[in-house]
Amino acid sequence: MNLTSCPYEKEVRQLMARGQWPAACPPELRTHVNGCRACGDLVLISEAFRHARAESLAAARPVAPAVLLWRAQLRRRNAAVERVGRPLLGAQIFACAVALFAAAGFASFEARNGVEWFTLSYWHDWFVQLPQAAAAQWASLSSGTLAGSAWSWMALATLLLLGGVAVYLATDKP
Amino acid sequence: MSWEFTLAHAWAGGSKKAAGAGVCDPAMENDAFAGFYERSARPLWAYLARVSADPALADDLMQESYVRFLCAEGAPTLAMNGEAAARLYLFRIATNLLRDYWRRPRNTSIEEIPEELFAVRGSEAQSDAQILLEPALKQMKPRERQMLWLAHAEGYSHREIAQVMGLGAASIRLLLFRARRKIAALLRACAADDGRKS
Repeated sequence: MNLTSCPYEKEVRQLMARGQWPAACPPELRTHVNGCRACGDLVLISEAFRHARAESLAAARPVAPAVLLWRAQLRRRNAAVERVGRPLLGAQIFACAVALFAAAGFASFEARNGVEWFTLSYWHDWFVQLPQAAAAQWASLSSGTLAGSAWSWMALATLLLLGGVAVYLATDKP
Repeated sequence: MSWEFTLAHAWAGGSKKAAGAGVCDPAMENDAFAGFYERSARPLWAYLARVSADPALADDLMQESYVRFLCAEGAPTLAMNGEAAARLYLFRIATNLLRDYWRRPRNTSIEEIPEELFAVRGSEAQSDAQILLEPALKQMKPRERQMLWLAHAEGYSHREIAQVMGLGAASIRLLLFRARRKIAALLRACAADDGRKS
């Protein structure tokens, strides 16, 4: 396929770009265009596209630029929120993984020491004894030994901490 | 440190980074952008409407193009790169959006779009060139329509078209040559048909 363009093509193109075709076109160039396929194609296509462009420009109804600026601002804000939220999500996944690992470790430890706590009767007895156990625990907290009291306070603090985390996760909005 | 402070800080950090790359400049966002938009919106809409043959789609894609242009990191700015570079970048975004639209699976293909959709809103009286161009464009491939529009309606060079379409300038030369021959033959055939009918 021969891609060599006509030497007059550039001149014709420039005349069309300046809007001087065909009014300001020299007669010899017009004669050439009538006989040259490449230049004839160029004129035919360019005229058709320029007319189409002029009509489309008149038909366009662009929205106010403020709308686009607002949409862009909103999108950038959302991107910033996502950027900030990314480490938090990572921390949550890490905390979840640690909790699961701890739970698995606890379950395996308990399983090694007997599996009676898997049974329904074990939990029934545990619930029945819970008020008495809580009262005894409270008594040990208020006037117990130092080591026992420390462990109890740590357990209570852990419970409060986990409760706080649970409340935060429950109320966390996306 | 409050959440709002963290967010504002992240946002400002993002803007600084972007400003360093030449985008999201507040000045560009207000006065300069309004001027740039005024000068470039109609040609961009014309490109999208004619190439997609769907004015409603052109509306959506034009807005999306500008929003992406404003949010893009590394986009050319008017102050640093000039309006021609910014406009080329904008046309490139629009071209990519069109390509994504055509690639998306949907019920109707571009070839099945009724001819009436090619009609431009508010143009009751169409020129002879228009009446010939629409059926001819309909028979062209989307990529050929893009190239022809950029070359003959926007007056872009091969290098600029290559930039907009993400192809090599040599490929554009060959593809455009073929597309030009094809549409010229179609236009002549349409004109001959029109002449026979009248």
